[in-house]
Amino acid sequence: MELTDKLIILADAAKYDVSCASSGAPKRSSKGKDGLGSTDGMGICHSFTPDGRCVSLLKVLLTNFCLYDCQYCVNRRSSNVPRARFTPEEVVKLTLDFYRRNTISGLFLSSGIIRSADYTMEQLIRVAQLLREEHQFRGYIHLKTIPDADPLLIAKAGLYADRLSVNIELPTEAGLTRLAPEKEVRSIKKAMGTIRLGLEETAAEKNAPRFAPAGQSTQMIIGADPTNDRTILDTAQTLYGAYQLKRVYYSAFSPIPDSPNSVPLIPPPLLREHRLYQADFLIRGYGFTASELPTEEGNLPLDIDPKLAWALSNRDTFPLDLNQAEPALIARVPGIGVLSAKRLVALRQQRRIRYADLIRLRCSLEKAKPFIVVHDYRPSFLLAESLHLRTQLSEKPAQLALW
Amino acid sequence: MRTVSFDGSFAGWRCIARQLLEQDVAPSEISWQTEHLVGDLFAGTSEQPETVSSAIRVPKQLAELLSLAACYRHAQRWALLYRVLWRVVRGDQAAMLAGDEDGSELHRWAKAVRRETHHLHAFLRFKHRGEHSGNPQYVAWHEPAHDVLALAAPHFCNRMGNTSWLIATPEAVALWDGKTLAFKAPCPVELQALAKQQRDDGESLWLAYYASTFNPARANPKVMTGHMPKRFWKDLPEGPLIPALLSEARTGTQRTAQAKTVSEQAGKTVPVSAEEVLPVREQLSTLDTCRRCPLWQKATQAVPGEGPLNARLFLVGEQPGDHEDLLGRPFMGPAGQVLDQAIQDAGLQREALYLTNAVKHFKWTPQGRRRKHVTPTTEIAPCRHWLEQELDNVKPDVIVALGATALESLTGKKQGSLAMYMGQATQWKGRRLIVTYHPSYILRVPEEAKREQAQAALTAALVQARQLLEQ
Repeated sequence: MELTDKLIILADAAKYDVSCASSGAPKRSSKGKDGLGSTDGMGICHSFTPDGRCVSLLKVLLTNFCLYDCQYCVNRRSSNVPRARFTPEEVVKLTLDFYRRNTISGLFLSSGIIRSADYTMEQLIRVAQLLREEHQFRGYIHLKTIPDADPLLIAKAGLYADRLSVNIELPTEAGLTRLAPEKEVRSIKKAMGTIRLGLEETAAEKNAPRFAPAGQSTQMIIGADPTNDRTILDTAQTLYGAYQLKRVYYSAFSPIPDSPNSVPLIPPPLLREHRLYQADFLIRGYGFTASELPTEEGNLPLDIDPKLAWALSNRDTFPLDLNQAEPALIARVPGIGVLSAKRLVALRQQRRIRYADLIRLRCSLEKAKPFIVVHDYRPSFLLAESLHLRTQLSEKPAQLALW
Repeated sequence: MRTVSFDGSFAGWRCIARQLLEQDVAPSEISWQTEHLVGDLFAGTSEQPETVSSAIRVPKQLAELLSLAACYRHAQRWALLYRVLWRVVRGDQAAMLAGDEDGSELHRWAKAVRRETHHLHAFLRFKHRGEHSGNPQYVAWHEPAHDVLALAAPHFCNRMGNTSWLIATPEAVALWDGKTLAFKAPCPVELQALAKQQRDDGESLWLAYYASTFNPARANPKVMTGHMPKRFWKDLPEGPLIPALLSEARTGTQRTAQAKTVSEQAGKTVPVSAEEVLPVREQLSTLDTCRRCPLWQKATQAVPGEGPLNARLFLVGEQPGDHEDLLGRPFMGPAGQVLDQAIQDAGLQREALYLTNAVKHFKWTPQGRRRKHVTPTTEIAPCRHWLEQELDNVKPDVIVALGATALESLTGKKQGSLAMYMGQATQWKGRRLIVTYHPSYILRVPEEAKREQAQAALTAALVQARQLLEQ
């Protein structure tokens, strides 16, 4: 099979993993050196496909032959898909060719399970090792970690990779047992634990071997089973706390060809995925806990964003005087982000904040207006009903957005 | 009104701005005029030494903002820069803040310049000139909206190492020979032509990848163009693919994510049976599958006791902590170290003891990105089942209860204060029971003297246990 034909199959097979981050790696440069590649901590999106997703890494499977039969996955053994397998050298060639043309910042390599978890993991490591040692490649490498692989192999993967990720796959253990009979939550969590311990060991010892400096992440499939948003966010929060994940990615289930009866035939609304990302962002960056975010019958409202939903159900906190309030609380006002909050705090040390300042800082005033007081403004409809406000601030239902 | 003429570079402007500041010339009195773009457009951004000694000091952050905003193409660029600088130097610090009228403009420009630099890093495409074409090996044509080439080019020196390249723009050109970076402005016509006309057959793999990684079930052109403005498409090899991919996704009946090029091919299943592929795993113990309380949901694993089954001394702690939960073994974290020290001081060996916890899963609550220990309550009773099983298996002579939870679990009810039991060996169900502090309590004692006392009490309890065994 030609390399192009393999690439077409194995890129198609890998698109269900949504992470494409190339950020968080330490500074590396090839200036004045043999080899290729650099990282500076910032990710670069080299292109965008018409689905609105970024292309930052060459994201492929080493092979889409797979022994497992995960019902939501297009590559499950019972699926009737074209199959292909790269040699490690072929992946290396593609990575370097793409990298030199400036179409990617690195490689995200995953694989179907072949022979055994250890064997599969060894194959993935082999590619990373070739890139790093034979070609002195200093770009970004993200390796998918096979949950049942030997911890020693995970340690070796961390030596070459910037990021490791183990997919939790589904938000509940019951869901995983039902849809992915060969997978086990305990071994997934143990692999995450092994990675976290590796990260901490490296952080604690100066001369410890390198270990996945860009940390670990995971992915959860949304809408392949009936789990609600509250449970999804609780699981995410548990994973963030227990394994120090950089990110939890939410992947709206994509119906697959020859879909088995165990999974739905239609995808969940993309807006739901978007709301989950917003809620996740509030948990990671704004100090919200999952339980603070209001849900309706267990799900985040689709018509308003989670921060606005929180503000509407906490009216006693508002209106908030931006010239007095705690910085952390300012960032909780709908329409005002962490950066604007910081800028407002810097500004009020110079002088009183006025309404025009908020316009200049590009705060989303339509959203912020009912919740704030500044030097020359206070909301006139203080007593406005939350329900009325909500209707006013609701987004058009047709609007679809991605992260 | 004074007309100030300079070479159009940031260094040139800075030099003149200093003189004007020293002469106290107000912004409103100046009309800025740049001469034709000359060859040294980029000189002085870093190499040129400071020749003018000046008493004027500005915050570092402002210097950076000014140098960024200076790359923003705008008729008023030098006037705004000078106005902000003037105000800050005269004590009006607000002028450089994003909330200020001038400051917000300056920040907006700096942001646009950063963004355009990032665009260049992202959307520039190198074309390979072939194995035998000599230097530069790779060439690129890019049309930035602002004067960012000098800012953006060094990134590619780090990226490409010894590989030589050329980046041509309508205004200037950057050349890297593998060792040094050079700029020329304007860009010579022949270099423009070289960069624009280069063909590269190696691009076909990238195009195949681009089309294949696209998910036609979730076409979203609005988001795509938001991130990748259309003005860049003409110089992207994948640009011409976009309309066809989109219309295919829109008009097709396709509801799945699979690319058409893949779905049209014949597929095959992997013929193995479910039984033969099941991974070999450590057998789940019944403890692993325990659902007597909800703690398992947030824990990595159950942590059973460990030690020889003929151990005569049996230590019971509270519950596994953060590290124990990850490692699956009791007393491995900071409290474990305190206990290890006490065991050693008491003349005992950890390997000879049976160590376990009253509760076998870690109870915690998220605190930011950390796990905060929560004292078990309602979980103690359901988990006693496992402790009793361990006691039956080991049949120790002496039990040491470390802390109140252990004591509650052993005795089956909440016991007021630990102090009532401390230091005495009581008879309990035919065994000797000694009660002492939990090692993590010792870690929490703030005063050093009291901490040492507590540590001594723990050691004394273990010594007492050893002596009971020796009797």
